[in-house]
Amino acid sequence: MDEYALGVLTNMGLFSFLALSAYLLLIAGEMSFGQQAFFGVGAYAAGIGTAMWGLPLPVAALFAMALGAGAAWLVGLPTLRLRGLYFAMATLAAAEMFRILFELFHWQREVDGEPVGPDGTQGFRGIRWVLEQGIEQAGYAAIVFGILALVLATLFLAERSRLGATVRMVGEDPELAAVLGVNVARVKLGVATAAGALAALGGALYAHHNTYVEPRNFDIMLGVHSLAYGLIGGLGTALGPLLGVALDIGLLESTRVFQGYRMIVFGGLIAVLLIVRPRGLLDETTVNRIAAAFRGRGA
Amino acid sequence: MIRLAAALALLAAAAPAAAQRLGADVDCRPTKHDLVYDCRIALKESKSGKPVSGADVSVGADMPSMPMAHNVKPVKAKPGAGPGEYEARIELEMYGEWALKLNVRGPTRDVIVKKLDFREPR
Repeated sequence: MDEYALGVLTNMGLFSFLALSAYLLLIAGEMSFGQQAFFGVGAYAAGIGTAMWGLPLPVAALFAMALGAGAAWLVGLPTLRLRGLYFAMATLAAAEMFRILFELFHWQREVDGEPVGPDGTQGFRGIRWVLEQGIEQAGYAAIVFGILALVLATLFLAERSRLGATVRMVGEDPELAAVLGVNVARVKLGVATAAGALAALGGALYAHHNTYVEPRNFDIMLGVHSLAYGLIGGLGTALGPLLGVALDIGLLESTRVFQGYRMIVFGGLIAVLLIVRPRGLLDETTVNRIAAAFRGRGA
Repeated sequence: MIRLAAALALLAAAAPAAAQRLGADVDCRPTKHDLVYDCRIALKESKSGKPVSGADVSVGADMPSMPMAHNVKPVKAKPGAGPGEYEARIELEMYGEWALKLNVRGPTRDVIVKKLDFREPR
């Protein structure tokens, strides 16, 4: 596989974290247009950790996850009082606030005789930990997909547990969940916090893949894509958003023949898909059918 | 969470290798074809300013506001006339600000990002 193909594959892995982050909120019944903010928080925090403080990436990634979770909790506290479109708009506004904060964020220190650190709209260059460790593209792709596999395994286990059932119940019928004694607000805030940590982990890995980030990387376009991943791939399983990422990036790559117009072609294809399959390709009904078919074969 | 921490610990154990900070001056000029630019790259060591010749340089580009959505497949740069100079022809998808990504291998390893504004000719 050539380097470009490996780069595209790594990007698919990296954006899967963001897709899963938006998916978590979708199954909890909330549509967030703001997960890119926590992806950005993770990217900046981990970049500061390795490039300015000299931390190893794993420690910086854990720091980024903690910061992403904290930021998501702070945003979730007031916004989760809102419902539907109002929540979506509030998360979009919060994400724009974060992006503007990144634009105002100037904090550099000298490393090897060069200024390193966030420099407002000029971005944050020199996130070189991966280069300095001699990790090549294939190695980094393996690391990204290894961590993604662990996240997926954790999500599968959580979805099969009582917690997973509670989250889906809160998403499908919050009134009924409340009547049954579930603290809906607490569950949603917990999901939002976990989703923030997950997006931040993706951002941390993204920054170290790219070696450079800037505020505009984390604008509304990324938020729309992160939601689209789950809506295209389907909300029936955590594999849905991953399928969405593969289709999204795959379609974008395969429509290169349309050059600058490919986003229009891509948008049209997505619109048709959502009309035909409103809850995505791997929706709950499809997933249940597949599971029933496997159970039938096993019996 | 424990499994995730274990994976991150394995990542921390990765063996370090040499990578040097490089700098580059990039000048891209339009050709007679729309959105096609000839770029001249002067590659140098950041500390000493010494030109870096004999490197394997590939040039890609991303639109910062649309990571993944609008990008340029990397092309290999050819050695230029002077020491540390390289040339590459890139074809963009649209006018606007692009982040050029120079992937350098060979005598040293680095990735350099330069932001350039490509405006529509009047």
